[in-house]
Amino acid sequence: MMGLSTLSEWTGRIGELVIGASHAEGGTRSHVVRIGGERDLPYIGTHPSGHKPLVAYELADDPSLWPAAATRYIGDWVHDTADWAAYAEKEYTPDLIRLHLTSTRHRGFSDTSRIGTTIESVLQATRLPLIVEGSDDPAMDSAVYQKIGEAAEGERILLGTAEAGRYRSVAAAAMAYGHSVIAQSPIDINLAKQLNILLRETGLPSDRIAIDPYTGALGYGFEYSYSVMERIRYSALKGDTDLAMPMISSATDSLTVKEVREAQGSEAEKTAVAWELYSMLPATIAGASIVCVRHPLSIAGLKSAIDSLWNGENVEGV
Amino acid sequence: MTLKPLEIYKLLPKKNCKECGDPTCLTFAMKLSGGKAKPEACPYLDENAKTILGASTRPPVRKIRIGVGERAITIGEELVQFRHEKSFFHEPGIFIAVNDTMTAEAIQERVIFVRDGILTRVGTDLRLSGIGIRSLAGSPEPFARAVGAVESVADLPEVLMAGDPAVMEAGLFVCGNYRPLIHAASPSQYREMCRLAKKYGCPLALKADTLDSLAELSGHCTAEGVENLVLDLSSPSLHAMLNASTAVRQHAISRTTPALGYPVCIDTSRGGHADASLITGVTKFGSVLVCDDLPEASRKAVLVLRQNIYTDPQKPIQITPGLYRVGTPGRDAPVLLTVNFSLTFFTLQGYLEASRVPCFMLIVDTEGLSVLTAVASGKLHEALVRDAIAKYGLAGEVSHRTLIIPGYAAPLSGRIEEAIGWKVLVGPRDAADIAEFLEKEWKT
Repeated sequence: MMGLSTLSEWTGRIGELVIGASHAEGGTRSHVVRIGGERDLPYIGTHPSGHKPLVAYELADDPSLWPAAATRYIGDWVHDTADWAAYAEKEYTPDLIRLHLTSTRHRGFSDTSRIGTTIESVLQATRLPLIVEGSDDPAMDSAVYQKIGEAAEGERILLGTAEAGRYRSVAAAAMAYGHSVIAQSPIDINLAKQLNILLRETGLPSDRIAIDPYTGALGYGFEYSYSVMERIRYSALKGDTDLAMPMISSATDSLTVKEVREAQGSEAEKTAVAWELYSMLPATIAGASIVCVRHPLSIAGLKSAIDSLWNGENVEGV
Repeated sequence: MTLKPLEIYKLLPKKNCKECGDPTCLTFAMKLSGGKAKPEACPYLDENAKTILGASTRPPVRKIRIGVGERAITIGEELVQFRHEKSFFHEPGIFIAVNDTMTAEAIQERVIFVRDGILTRVGTDLRLSGIGIRSLAGSPEPFARAVGAVESVADLPEVLMAGDPAVMEAGLFVCGNYRPLIHAASPSQYREMCRLAKKYGCPLALKADTLDSLAELSGHCTAEGVENLVLDLSSPSLHAMLNASTAVRQHAISRTTPALGYPVCIDTSRGGHADASLITGVTKFGSVLVCDDLPEASRKAVLVLRQNIYTDPQKPIQITPGLYRVGTPGRDAPVLLTVNFSLTFFTLQGYLEASRVPCFMLIVDTEGLSVLTAVASGKLHEALVRDAIAKYGLAGEVSHRTLIIPGYAAPLSGRIEEAIGWKVLVGPRDAADIAEFLEKEWKT
């Protein structure tokens, strides 16, 4: 539709964040990705400003701590993290890989050298830019993040996750080895802002922070997350530079909700994919620059919908 | 923009005559500002005040009703661009399409699915809204037959989709008294469609190539005497659709272009992104969403997304306090305390079901606040727990005397233990860890 158009009176701009480093930059990625840079609401404008939202595929180094709905579909590949990543890149072509080091969740975990090996093998197996999620236990954070940072040195990964109570280890590893940080707050715009300020005070530059406002699953609080993302984007466009970082959203609990667990037979796959699509596409509409899914079949649908929202490309050619 | 109460007050006679039914002009002004009173209630307004108040108290997006009876829907009357600014009010109608090349049996099967399908979540029944009837055959008789087939099994709201006024008239002859949405008038035939809309008292959808011509067309239709209009923004490109629906909402609520102050209709079958198109319509200002056959998984997901987006952001959904069972708990089963914020309840319930440990959930009334906020604000306290245990007869249900409380309620553990005389176990903060917790810590 032409003629009368959207009314934009924004003064702010979302900062840009780069993930991955090419050979020329000292890394080994086939391409790097850029997110952020927008000057208007998501997808708005004849040529939307900034960078198109991206889809990350999530996997885990210990698949026993991963939703059955995700591992069932992948099959045997899940037993070798590097094979899993390579297979997913080739078969499902996500924009990024997000590796969760679930092995660190076991009580008494101490084998940090194994984490290093895992990350190195995943970096060799895939050329895609990488997001890595470390431990969630303050007692081991320091050792774990140090190891991740070191193993991925030069690759400019996105490192998660910093929270208000525990952000120093993550920030220190990111600064020492040239990575960026995911800053997660519990569905609260003020806490998101506060954490960004805390991270800045550690010396981490703003262009190396991605905001994760935490995303509740569809039907389980998704609307709160949706609105917090809209508010963060709105405040950033109005000029609040402490909130002007790109956002990352993950449908973390989608594959374990009752609707997916109770669906029978082939409906289980379809419900899993629907639950991820119906939360992650709205997340991009609310302002997320990276959306993350765990069911491989969600990737293609999301990417094609994002393409159509971004530039009007019509896959069916109607 | 909506005027503030004091700005409205300046335009009122300030006599406090009470003839409007309000005690003072100021309280009347406050009601006007909130859209809860009409300017006509004041007999002493001058012409200038009438004009200003008439324009500023009318909802910026016109309210429209489609259908009659129990399943009729109301759309429009929206006030904001973002739900966090206040709330979205009237959730979009989701219409499943049939067409006049289908057999009557096939049509009826789909209609019955819409009529009877219910998804119950958070204590609310979620349903698809109605039926779209497409003219594909291009002539009056098959269209009238298709409408008749729909009418034979259900009293659902309908969208009659035919570009030829003669075909439309044949459909209206069958169901015109049940207030279907006429879809759609275009610049070439709007006079004919307006005549039908007036004759049957039906809302009318408009189609044009650009937003400018759509605004112009809505002007023509109101001049013809048809004011219940809906703007069709369907496009094979999601980008075009989202930009158009955003522009329409912005122009409407800022009252920049009142000719665009109408609800939006989207036919999601245009282009190859039925799910994405529905998602865009639900999140960004669609009010009538027509889709072809909707797979079961998409149906559930879109009903839940619509419920989420149209929940009042200021009002947490609450669960009725009480004693809930997960599985078939015996007398030695664990009892877990939590709050009546529905999100907390359903999240915990989900993880408990997954843990396969039969148990009781003791839900106390924190007015819908989460554990963290209920503890911080004092809404969760030992007396509340003590009274709930007595009220729901917990002592008679279990043989042990141990209560598991949420991790975030740990500061209250001592006081709860003292007040109820039971042993208190502090559970995990995150419901996701509950299975592991029960496995390791639960012994009667």
